Amino acid sequence: MVEVALTIPPDVVFIAFATVTLLAAILALQAKELIYGAIALGASFAGIAGMFILLDAPYLAMLQIAIYVGAVVVLILFTIMLVRREEGEEVTEQRERGEGAAGLWIAGLLAVAIAGVAALAGPNLPSTPPGNALPVSQLGPALVTQYPVPLLILAFLLSAALLGAMMLAKVER
Amino acid sequence: MVNIPTSPADLLPFIISIVTSHTFITIIIFPGMIHLTLVSAFLTWYERKLLARIQLRIGPLYAGGPGGILQPIADGVKLIFKEVILPYKADRTLFTWIPLVLIYLGTLPFAVIPFGQHWVIANLDVGLVFIFATTSVFPSMIIIFAWASNSKYPFIGGLRSLFQQVAYEIPMWISALSVVILAGSLNLVDIVNKQAKIWFIVPAFLSFIVFFICIMAELERLPFDLPEAEPELVAGWFTEASGAIFMAIFLALYLKLYMMSALVTDLFLGGWWGPPFLPQPVWTVLKALVVATAIIIPRGIYPRIRVDMLIRIGWTRLLVIALANVFITVVLVNSGLLARWGL
Repeated sequence: MVEVALTIPPDVVFIAFATVTLLAAILALQAKELIYGAIALGASFAGIAGMFILLDAPYLAMLQIAIYVGAVVVLILFTIMLVRREEGEEVTEQRERGEGAAGLWIAGLLAVAIAGVAALAGPNLPSTPPGNALPVSQLGPALVTQYPVPLLILAFLLSAALLGAMMLAKVER
Repeated sequence: MVNIPTSPADLLPFIISIVTSHTFITIIIFPGMIHLTLVSAFLTWYERKLLARIQLRIGPLYAGGPGGILQPIADGVKLIFKEVILPYKADRTLFTWIPLVLIYLGTLPFAVIPFGQHWVIANLDVGLVFIFATTSVFPSMIIIFAWASNSKYPFIGGLRSLFQQVAYEIPMWISALSVVILAGSLNLVDIVNKQAKIWFIVPAFLSFIVFFICIMAELERLPFDLPEAEPELVAGWFTEASGAIFMAIFLALYLKLYMMSALVTDLFLGGWWGPPFLPQPVWTVLKALVVATAIIIPRGIYPRIRVDMLIRIGWTRLLVIALANVFITVVLVNSGLLARWGL
């Protein structure tokens, strides 16, 4: 049996995923109809999942899709469905003066910060060469043996969130 | 790896090498497109015939072939040529595109579901999580389609579908966890290989029951078909769908039925393992069809349950049983009771 494989340079894939993520994020903010915003947000999350696949973390990518595209977008859709706007009501947008300038400032600051971090710490960052990532079956042992304290903290945080949600739901009744 | 041809003489060998490659055969012919189309068309006929027999009717008869088996083709031709009616003020883009996305999402899991030792398109290490990810996108697409219909029945049906699928997804995947613990892998090929000596339905029987109930709810099958309750909601979230759009949704739903049946087969019923007089893929398909039969039959027998019962069963009973199963499985595996089956 002969294998036919098409090889696409990873840079092209990265640029494609990055474009999808960024354009969808912009669309999510700019969409007039909230539903389109939610769909664009889902597409943006899916783009980030693609980044995880490029970084040899397929498990994380799948969970990103399941939790963000599958669950968070559903929550947002629920909210949108609950607050549908009235028939004939126009969408009004309040624009503050200097909005664009503020956005540019923040984007510039972020770019400078990221560039600075990359220049200072880039060579020292731990990197796993492609193909050397931890296999999925060793994720669990690594979590329990190498990182037990963050795992416990996360578990406590999630239980607290769960209990809090239950308390809030109970008060409502 | 094949080089792209430079002269016309190399073209034919190049095409032959592509057509006979594992990738092409698995994607286009066997676990892929042709097989899926045929089986999902067969399932529509099979469901109608089976339900008719349960209710002492005859079912499809006139479309030709034994027992009217060509009925799906007649249905398909009819639906393609019917007018697509766009509801008043419906969202045109979403209304036409979401059914195609649903087909895509229904087909995608077959990329990792193995039908035989080598009959799998992509042997992913995270196969089970991949299916989890793709099926979890379904409910949001359904609610978006229901919203795009701009009509009350689809909207209520879509909300019910969302409630139901979100509530039953969690116990479903937690009960699949006990299989993962037994096999020690998320790779579906590994999971089936571990069942060579004993099918996982034996050590994880409770998980199987919970998983089966949950997929009945995920597939919106009776007794859980609240999202498309005919007497109250006409046809639920796809009330407004007509013509080719209805066909796309119908195809997606039957693909999902077949996908869930094949998943149950691979997780609990030993996948392709069976007496060796039949080849492996035949065993998988046969077992999946048996599971599909078990999913379809209650539609001819049981009444529909109430919304509050549905939600209560999902969140309080099934979730607790599924979690208890995980502990039972851990105890079973660590006690060494299953050691003689190599688990």
